[in-house]
Amino acid sequence: MNKGLSRRNLLKYMGLGGATVVAASCEQKPEKLIPLLVAPDEFAYTPHTSYNYMTVCQECPGECGMMITSREGRAQKAEGNPNHPLNKGALCALGQSSLQTLYNPDRIASPHDKSQKKLSWADAEKTLADQLKAAKGQVVYLGQPVTGNTDRFIDQWLQAVGGGKRIRFQALTQASQKKANDIAFGRADIPLYEMDKAKYLLNFSTDFMETWGNVVENTRKFTDMHTYQNQHKNKFVHVGPHVSLTGAKADQWVKIKPGTEGIMALAIAHEVQKSTGAYSFLNGYLAAYTPKKVAKQIGTTAEAIQHIAKDFMSQSPSLAIGGGNMTATEHSTETLVAINILNAVAGNIGKTVNFITQHQTPAYSHQDISQLIKDLNAEKIKLLIIDNVNPVYALPKTAGLAEALKKTFVVSLSSTKDETTHEANLVLPTLTAYESWGDSAPRAGIRSIIQPVMVPVNTFDAKAKENILLAVNKLLNTGQFDDAGTYLDYLKSAWRRIQLEIGDTSSFEQFWIKTLENGGVFTNTSSVSVSLSSDVTNYTPKVPKLKGDGLALLPSTSILMRDGSGANKPWLQETPDPMTQIVWGSWLEINPKTAKSMGIKDRSIVKVSSPHGTIEATAYYHFGVHEDAVALPFGQGHTNSGLAADGFGINVTDLLPAKVDKHSGELAWLSVNAKLTTSSRKSYATNLDGNARQLGRDIAAATTIDALLHGEDHGGAHHQRRREVYPDRKETAGYYEPYRWGMTIDIDRCNGCSACVVACYAENNIPVVGKERAGVGREMSWIRIERYIEGMGDSAETRFAPMTCQQCANAGCETVCPVYATYHNPEGLNIQAYNRCVGTRYCSNNCAYKVRRFNWFNYEFPAPLNQQLNSTITTREVGVMEKCTFCVQRIKEAQMAARKMGRDVQDGEITPACQQTCPTEAITFGNLMDTKSKVAQIAKRDKEEMKHRDRQYEILPELNFKPAITYLKKVNLQEKKADLHHEKSAGHAKKAHS
Amino acid sequence: MSGTTFTYGKINDDMLRMLERPHPSYFLLLLGFLTALGLGVLSLAVQVNVGIGYSGINHPIAWGVYITNFVFWIGIGHAGTLISAVFYLTRAPWRTAIYRAAEAMTVFAVMTAGLFPLLHTGRPWLAYWLIPYPNQRMLWVNFKSPLAWDVFAVSTYMTVSILFFMIGLIPDIAILRDEAIRKGQKLRAMIFTPLSLFWRGTNYQWMHYMRAYLIYAAIATPLVFSVHSIVSWDFAMSSIPGWHTTIFAPYFVAGAIFSGLAMVMTVLIPVRVVFGLEDYITDHVVQSVCRVIIFTSIIVGYAYATEFFIGWYSGSPFEKAIFYFRPFGLMEEWTLTGEQSIGFPQIAFFLMVFCNVIAPIPLWRWKIRNNLVAVWIICGLINVGMWFERFNIVGSSLQREFLPAAWGSYWPTVVEFGITVGSFGFFFTLFSLFVKALPPMAIMELKEAAHPPMKKEAHG
Repeated sequence: MNKGLSRRNLLKYMGLGGATVVAASCEQKPEKLIPLLVAPDEFAYTPHTSYNYMTVCQECPGECGMMITSREGRAQKAEGNPNHPLNKGALCALGQSSLQTLYNPDRIASPHDKSQKKLSWADAEKTLADQLKAAKGQVVYLGQPVTGNTDRFIDQWLQAVGGGKRIRFQALTQASQKKANDIAFGRADIPLYEMDKAKYLLNFSTDFMETWGNVVENTRKFTDMHTYQNQHKNKFVHVGPHVSLTGAKADQWVKIKPGTEGIMALAIAHEVQKSTGAYSFLNGYLAAYTPKKVAKQIGTTAEAIQHIAKDFMSQSPSLAIGGGNMTATEHSTETLVAINILNAVAGNIGKTVNFITQHQTPAYSHQDISQLIKDLNAEKIKLLIIDNVNPVYALPKTAGLAEALKKTFVVSLSSTKDETTHEANLVLPTLTAYESWGDSAPRAGIRSIIQPVMVPVNTFDAKAKENILLAVNKLLNTGQFDDAGTYLDYLKSAWRRIQLEIGDTSSFEQFWIKTLENGGVFTNTSSVSVSLSSDVTNYTPKVPKLKGDGLALLPSTSILMRDGSGANKPWLQETPDPMTQIVWGSWLEINPKTAKSMGIKDRSIVKVSSPHGTIEATAYYHFGVHEDAVALPFGQGHTNSGLAADGFGINVTDLLPAKVDKHSGELAWLSVNAKLTTSSRKSYATNLDGNARQLGRDIAAATTIDALLHGEDHGGAHHQRRREVYPDRKETAGYYEPYRWGMTIDIDRCNGCSACVVACYAENNIPVVGKERAGVGREMSWIRIERYIEGMGDSAETRFAPMTCQQCANAGCETVCPVYATYHNPEGLNIQAYNRCVGTRYCSNNCAYKVRRFNWFNYEFPAPLNQQLNSTITTREVGVMEKCTFCVQRIKEAQMAARKMGRDVQDGEITPACQQTCPTEAITFGNLMDTKSKVAQIAKRDKEEMKHRDRQYEILPELNFKPAITYLKKVNLQEKKADLHHEKSAGHAKKAHS
Repeated sequence: MSGTTFTYGKINDDMLRMLERPHPSYFLLLLGFLTALGLGVLSLAVQVNVGIGYSGINHPIAWGVYITNFVFWIGIGHAGTLISAVFYLTRAPWRTAIYRAAEAMTVFAVMTAGLFPLLHTGRPWLAYWLIPYPNQRMLWVNFKSPLAWDVFAVSTYMTVSILFFMIGLIPDIAILRDEAIRKGQKLRAMIFTPLSLFWRGTNYQWMHYMRAYLIYAAIATPLVFSVHSIVSWDFAMSSIPGWHTTIFAPYFVAGAIFSGLAMVMTVLIPVRVVFGLEDYITDHVVQSVCRVIIFTSIIVGYAYATEFFIGWYSGSPFEKAIFYFRPFGLMEEWTLTGEQSIGFPQIAFFLMVFCNVIAPIPLWRWKIRNNLVAVWIICGLINVGMWFERFNIVGSSLQREFLPAAWGSYWPTVVEFGITVGSFGFFFTLFSLFVKALPPMAIMELKEAAHPPMKKEAHG
């Protein structure tokens, strides 16, 4: 120690060294973040504040009013416009996914030619102008059957630039419907089907809650009619060869042979007319349709027909509806005329079938496009402008459209790439409806405004369609539209006329702002009285002759894929089809009886061949399809529609001929037989459900109307624990004062439409994982529709139970988390603290409801889909558990607003995304501690109230998790005999193995 | 240890001979184990980098092969503590020859097991949050969670096992030290001197040493029962049918001892053959271990039967369903298709019953117990069976829970396979190094059991 360091020196050096290290580590100065306390004026928005813009949903021709929530200048959530008379705030799954139209990564980035060579807008517009000049009127403008002023604008523009023909195209039309109404009542439009006023609904194969008409409105009206209320429930009978999602809600399925709906309708009409004597000119016509004569032809019994007829008459006003793909045979007009006859003889016209003074809309059908193909092949058309439609995909390949397009110059105006833009010589990217101005008038009395909800998404160099057309018009110096610099000017002048028309006396600016805020102008309509024309006797429905041999091929539609235009949206692909639970693909529905006789196994690949083509499909056992038929849904099997669409599933139109109904020109979807060849290859279909049977576990519980009326149902009250060892949370200080958030889900109302699932994806930044990962249990959806099938054969019943986090009071997840990443908060929510989560996944194991989702990977939101992310909540990183929080961000927002006003949150101020969008109003959310709240009154959870329960039940009450969600049982009109109980099946199983 | 005459010198020589420069085949073996370990490290690296989704674990089967491995390895460890502590207290003399190796096995098995809860988490870099350490955010662990209990149980077990192991080694390391000094091996001497805690073998030291050893044995004894009970509560405390059962604690403990003893035999029979230790690991030792194996096999078999009986007797449809599912798969009436599906869980179940209940039956015969090859094969089967027992518990229950719509299935992936192989590599690498680095048998206890050198003989 004498040499070397002394203690003092050591301390000095250490001090110096330490100071140096500290100084060195201070080198990087932290950048300061300066919060924006007061927004400067140039910001048009305040950060973190939601702005709502009214517009119109463009995902289907239903044209529901939509409200887009925008934060930080980005559209983040689509919701229904609560003022809109069609959808009243609700949206379907397609509507919920509209933001993925806006932010779709497969939108066209810039104008380009056929070789994908990028063009400048000036060049592109000049090319179109030159082509128009050269075509000298030999022009066809092929677009959607748009309503409102856009329709008029396109006509005027076409006139201005030299004339041409306009063709309206849609894959799924109601052309036969209009034609049949024209024949029967002299009105070529769609009446209001007042399902809510009907006491008995007879549906002839129509998918009215999936693809037919305005689905949201139909669903709401149907639910009003069909749900159990005031100790009563109206009957809904589904007649047809196929049970779709709509048919699954039916109290009875009457199985008939494919294409015999019209004959069935007339047989019922015969019985009805026999006793009412209405429209005596029908006497002779209907005489050929006595139930006894036609029963065999239809494939049902005379008694069944008579029974329906009796009910149809006695439960007045009743309603029969028909339409959609199953009735679209080569005789579809006759079929629908027959249904009109049935409504007429039962006296439903003017009661449940109301014709109103409609806007005159030009008739259109697939016949037009058949003519177009002929003209193209004859080289009569120099220029074809295709505006946001995809006929190359939707038309049967045998129509030969793709080849015909090569014989002309094709200009495509489209926002996303698809099979049709792939064939175009010039592609001009248009803005989506959510970035541009417009309006719509789906029917009389409804004029909705379309306004841009944000500045155009910056990754795409697109222009509004109308503005492209105006620019071309200017290049051609037509002298038209001189007063309209942009389409907005044109639109405003049109709305000045509307203001005059409706007699609004305020200044136009006031009227305009009011309209934008309201989402449109909604006026009353007057109904028109009509009566049945005697012409109907010239139309006799026949059993369609299907080409080829094998089983009838029913080209059905599915609720999520519709006409296939939404197939490029990951949300719709990843949401399971409610009936089959299949994601990212398509399937072939086959009756198990038929399948077994042919040796086709469930989920095996089957070769399906019709006279027009052959495809391979996955067999899916479905009791709800006629033994002599198979159903193949339309909408998948894209080849050029982008990452999320291409290569998933198959396109049923590959099997179909381009045959049309001769009266209406509608495509005869049901026109071929399909031959099936089995194969031993494994299926490519991915389904997300574990088991289709609930094994008597009463998850989606049902009761009968008799049991309810006689008070036999106690809503699971006997399952409640009598004694408790530990005190209830309610009695613990600090809990549930003043809120315990709870929910009720009425599965009598729920039709499984899955709008809530997509809404949840949109609201909560839930990633989409893709087919492969979804197939191995990595899907992330926080709410799922559990689909259970009860019984076997024709009487099999499908039930839906939306399942999400139950926010249990004695939650299994909370106690097992070693780091308190999940805990019970004082308001009764199972909070998940993502940052604290280590990822042991024990919570998920111990969750009886299996509603927790784990981030197995760091998921990407491919640009620009990331712009949709809800900025009021986070995204989650790999290794973290997540789950439903009853939209805690909405709860907090409402609570903060209430606190500013110095009060508690009131009932109805908070709606989670799932409840908000539900077209059936099956979901109610609120404070269970407030006895006056709607949710508490429905749930009846108090000990005293519990005695008065009837349909209320909690799922798995015996576990004593005390879930905050109360379900309401489905009400069946009669006891389903085939109810499968666990005890019984256990007995069988023992036998099978001994 | 009758028959051969043991002198202190012979024991010393025999034991020290095992620590001499190994045969080249030893390095080959070690290379094999290291390769397996490398495979595991590689798989783990991939998984941590990409995400736990690289494994086959999914929703709803959130625990799979990793937790299976965890329970399996913890179980393996139990035999060591049982032999060294419980049999020490109960004065079972046949433990002397095998307890050191068994104890080393315990330490290595617990080390292996301890890795799995860490690497199975979604964010392994934050796994230290499971330890209650003071922090400025005042975050604490949830003492209600069985996983938090696990952290305490396993870390206590690991600490006590290591200490017990090291204390037992003190006199033997002193012998190695002396040997190294005698031969002039400086490096060895430098390592062994501190490890021997400057042991000189005085009476005074021996007195304290024996007292300490007894105390540690007493501390370790309850751990034999508590650790695996707590591990079993990871399952039993949940609400999942097939997990939520009171039988789990004794069932797991018996299973742990069962599998641990089988592993002891699996490892020591080759050691006996290779090093020619018939005089130490005698037939009597093998016989005794086999008797305990038979006993625990019966307990395990009884537990299996009880689970099924209670599954039926409970009347709970969920319990019934899971115990139907384990052996038979889906019931016909459960599906729309009426098809039976036999998958991995069913194979696991039959392997479990065969290996754990049926395969040990031949051990009832004296002749079989005396046949080293037969014992080795049966013990190998038991190891396989016990792995599948754990898989059966962890994996199959999660596949068939309360809501049929959320049922799922599970197949391990290449990564899980790699990490499992890696865990065996880790264990056997450590064990192989141990065999050559430290005396695998307790020299001083062997000497204790031998006849002390008599003055008469010395002079005679």
